[in-house]
Amino acid sequence: MKEFKQVIKDPVGLHARPAGLLVKQAAAFKSKITVSCNGKSADGKKLIMLMGLGVKQGMEVTCRIEGEDEDAALETLQKFFEENL
Amino acid sequence: MKLFQSLFGKNDGIQLVAPVKGKLVSIKEVSDPTFGEEILGKGIAIVPADNKFCAPADGTVTTIFPTGHAAAITTEDGAEILIHIGLDTVKLDGKYFTILASEGQKVKAGDVLIEADLEKIKAEGYDVITPVVICNSDEFSEIVPKAPADVSGEDTVLTLKK
Repeated sequence: MKEFKQVIKDPVGLHARPAGLLVKQAAAFKSKITVSCNGKSADGKKLIMLMGLGVKQGMEVTCRIEGEDEDAALETLQKFFEENL
Repeated sequence: MKLFQSLFGKNDGIQLVAPVKGKLVSIKEVSDPTFGEEILGKGIAIVPADNKFCAPADGTVTTIFPTGHAAAITTEDGAEILIHIGLDTVKLDGKYFTILASEGQKVKAGDVLIEADLEKIKAEGYDVITPVVICNSDEFSEIVPKAPADVSGEDTVLTLKK
């Protein structure tokens, strides 16, 4: 199991566009990807669940990755969060 | 096989009705590439002519954004439908939107989810075009949009096949 945390910098938070792009990245991996924030968790491959977290700018999210390709997924997703969120 | 499917009514697929009265256009006409390039999934868009935004099918309210500018319904057949009222309207932070349903609520097609004061939203410079997209488009073999036309609540706007 791998995990990283990231504070969201995007002014609109984890909303439609960034969430959609995140799902595209996450879906490429076999690992189970869970995004948590504010006491709620969502499947990182399910767009409507992710957006339902209501993540706003300044909030810290935790991304947990578990599965056979977790190392590659961690690298890709961490980079994606840093550059896009 | 065809006979078998029609006996069980599956040949018709999942029908989604217009969530709002207005003018249906191709999703590709939405200027925000998140929708226009179908990053979130396939669908259609409606230029709304009414302030009531309704469930397009029977299902469960999966998400209503606290800002009231978007809602997602999961149908009994597992289609995840996002209705996004206007473009960039997350920035209004709830202003001009009234939420009339709650997360986890069971709804029937036509039940009102959100009311939006379209005139005021337009007056603040926002495009009110409303994309309706299937977030789990990959799980369907076919997603057929209705051709552009004026639509209201009883008109089928999208047909999905597993």
